[in-house]
Amino acid sequence: MKLILLLWIMGVIYAVFYIVPPAEGLGELVRIAFFHIPVAWVSVLAFLLSAGWSVQYLRTRDIQYDWKSSAAASLGLLFCLLATISGAVFAKLTWGAYWNWDPRQTSIFILLLIYGAYLVLRSSIQEEKERARISAVYALLSFLTVPFLVFIIPRFYFSLHPEPVINSAGKLEMDTIMIYVLLAAVGACTALFWQCFNYMVLNKQKSA
Amino acid sequence: MPTIRLNLLNCIWAIMMKDGLCEFRTRYAVSALFMFALISLASISMSIGAASLPADLTAALLWVLLFFCAMAGLSRVFVQEEESGTIIALQLYGSGQAVLFGKLLFNIIMLLALTMLIIPLFILFLNVDIYHWSIFIVVLILGDIGIAAASTITAAMVAKTQGKNALFTVLTFPILLPQFLSSISATAKILMNVKPDISDILFMAAYNVVLMIASSIVFDYLWYD
Repeated sequence: MKLILLLWIMGVIYAVFYIVPPAEGLGELVRIAFFHIPVAWVSVLAFLLSAGWSVQYLRTRDIQYDWKSSAAASLGLLFCLLATISGAVFAKLTWGAYWNWDPRQTSIFILLLIYGAYLVLRSSIQEEKERARISAVYALLSFLTVPFLVFIIPRFYFSLHPEPVINSAGKLEMDTIMIYVLLAAVGACTALFWQCFNYMVLNKQKSA
Repeated sequence: MPTIRLNLLNCIWAIMMKDGLCEFRTRYAVSALFMFALISLASISMSIGAASLPADLTAALLWVLLFFCAMAGLSRVFVQEEESGTIIALQLYGSGQAVLFGKLLFNIIMLLALTMLIIPLFILFLNVDIYHWSIFIVVLILGDIGIAAASTITAAMVAKTQGKNALFTVLTFPILLPQFLSSISATAKILMNVKPDISDILFMAAYNVVLMIASSIVFDYLWYD
């Protein structure tokens, strides 16, 4: 399983550098997107999963769900950092500044803040059950703000960020090869996340 | 044990009066909060000197000031119960919802009183012109309720942790952010002599309602072990 994943990632990296053609307007820089988009996708996915397992914990009080929620959040913070940094580098190369509070930058920054707050909260409570309960409640509450932010942020900041890959018209405006490579990269990144996640949860189960 | 069962509204009122009475006896939170507000306001005013600020910057300063004043004092409602060991008695007598809304009401009143003190001084020190008073007051009240609603539920969370005060700000900010950004933009419009849209006001009110409903749903998980 690990070998397949490794080969897959190597394949994606090869494809990104040797198969994908330079994009119109962006040139060679487009290759960063094949790292940036999958990583950003995983950081949002991890947030959803973490909130989902928090609900499960509050319903069942099974400590396993708390471990899962915590593992997803720690990995999410890592991927979120990678997405922020790669996005900032991309922004410097294309827009001329590392940071300008573009709506996408603002929302990824808020995601970073929420992950950070969640993990700090976890580390500051000693008792295991209490920690699980309180952090689950916080994960749920912070999840609640996300739809509001999606509505409110674009009204305050002007965006330069390109439309998501599948834009509002539902049309794909990309080269077919790029789409396939991008999907493969998203898949690889998600699989990598899942592998690390399982490893963390398993470790926790062994030590418990 | 009391044999009379109070209804929810009376319970909320009783909890709020209890907090008010405790506060009145020590006057710790009120005086600390007011001095904190005064000092932060004076530091802003002194550091900018006689320079006149653009309207959007003034609005941002006002809300940053209110936010940090709230962060200095509002966690007390639960932290103090935990520290003095009275939280167990409260858990026995008060239902979760009554405690939450009683404390929330107390925080709202504290914050509104603080705002009433800050606003005249703010206008005085920073030489601000307010064009639409009635809308300005509505925005202030809605923003204050938002800050109080977000910080009451996070106060209940940090009461059990170590390093309560630093953590309180960290936890509250992401939850408050949508409300915070819209209060700043509405206030900036008022200071620029533009009437804010009704949709801005409605958004703030809706966010307050959502925040209160959500805290009411999750609070039971925090309150009952």
